[in-house]
Amino acid sequence: MPVTGVGLAQLTGQGVGSGVVVDPEALAGFAAGDPDAVRAVYGAYGRLVYGVAYKLLGDRGLAEEATQQAFVQAWRASGSYDPAREMGSWLATIARRAAIDVYRREARRSHGSLDDADPADPALVTLPPSADRVYDVWEVRRAIGTLDPDDAELVRMQHFDGLTQAQIAERLGIPLGTVKSRSFRVHRRLAGMLGHLRDNPDRTNPAGPS
Amino acid sequence: MSDDDRIHYLAGEPASALDPAEQAGLDNLRALLADPSVWAEPGPYLENKVTAAVARAAADPRSEPDGPVPARAARRRRGRRPWVVAALGGLATAAAIAIAVPVIAGGGSHPVQYQAALAGTALAPAATAQVTLTQTQSGWQISLHGHGLPRLDNGFYYEAWLKNPAGILVPVGTFNQPQNVTLWAGVPPTQFPTVTITRQRADGNPASSGQRVLVGVAHPAH
Repeated sequence: MPVTGVGLAQLTGQGVGSGVVVDPEALAGFAAGDPDAVRAVYGAYGRLVYGVAYKLLGDRGLAEEATQQAFVQAWRASGSYDPAREMGSWLATIARRAAIDVYRREARRSHGSLDDADPADPALVTLPPSADRVYDVWEVRRAIGTLDPDDAELVRMQHFDGLTQAQIAERLGIPLGTVKSRSFRVHRRLAGMLGHLRDNPDRTNPAGPS
Repeated sequence: MSDDDRIHYLAGEPASALDPAEQAGLDNLRALLADPSVWAEPGPYLENKVTAAVARAAADPRSEPDGPVPARAARRRRGRRPWVVAALGGLATAAAIAIAVPVIAGGGSHPVQYQAALAGTALAPAATAQVTLTQTQSGWQISLHGHGLPRLDNGFYYEAWLKNPAGILVPVGTFNQPQNVTLWAGVPPTQFPTVTITRQRADGNPASSGQRVLVGVAHPAH
């Protein structure tokens, strides 16, 4: 019997700790390892978990491995998950830990046997440099995920690809004025969703440790 | 600096009279929007890999979802684990249980039990039920006490199922109303941990209707 899908509540508020709530049926199925339920939870959060892992590891293969580990660890911890709590913040913390584990394992591997590693090697005891920014990545990805695909692509072209609005207009074959107005509208929406990141760039997970 | 100026700057357009602190905050946001990890996409096969990894973990008899367990119950649960491994290894005879359980429990005779708290689905959001699965020589005796579900008659009834991580369903009995129901299962909750209740029509079709009204997962009783 397939799970009909993750129940979604209206997105409200800001931050990792607000937004999607998984319905009890999907959660029960996830805790039992029901493949359909796992797919439903992955469909809701998989790309966000991957983004966190990629932020920490910077490698596609390692990020995918960490994503798998994160979901397995989430399954192991599902018995203690509070359904009243938004699943995103819970998964974000698990994703961060899984990626850090992979990071440290890779650091040890580069030294061969752990016995060969210098005990003072920072890679063994410290976090990856980007560990504090993973929750910001989660929130930015989630905000972009709410945009129309065309608007998300506009933001990507502008920021990730580094294109000017004139270059975007030429590539998309639309007037520059249209690009400007769309860009303004989209960025006004992003500013509303992500303004708290602008104001506090060094914050940690607002939902607190789990 | 007006809000429009800030948005224009965020969108990559030049802005005048920027407050240094505000510019720093907006630069931080622009840096995030340019971060490769914001745009990196997993391969389409990752979903299958994740699903398979969780299914393997769920099928491993040595693993189970963790829950908040009091220290004394945790020690009892750890003491019970060797029995679970032995049972799944094909040594689950009534004699083995009778020997193992008393030893673990310090000489008493406590039956092996699992429990599940069922929650109502969208079809029956107010429904709840408590399920206890007790191992006996005849199989697993299932006691169900529920609330919030109307009685079904006249060609309709409820049916209970146990399901394993692969999605295989085993029917464990039918009933008309969820109060003080006794059912029986020939499969263990260690392998078929999901408990579901469906609404069925008496039309001769033995398959599940898919109309789930209650669902939950069985865990060892403390």
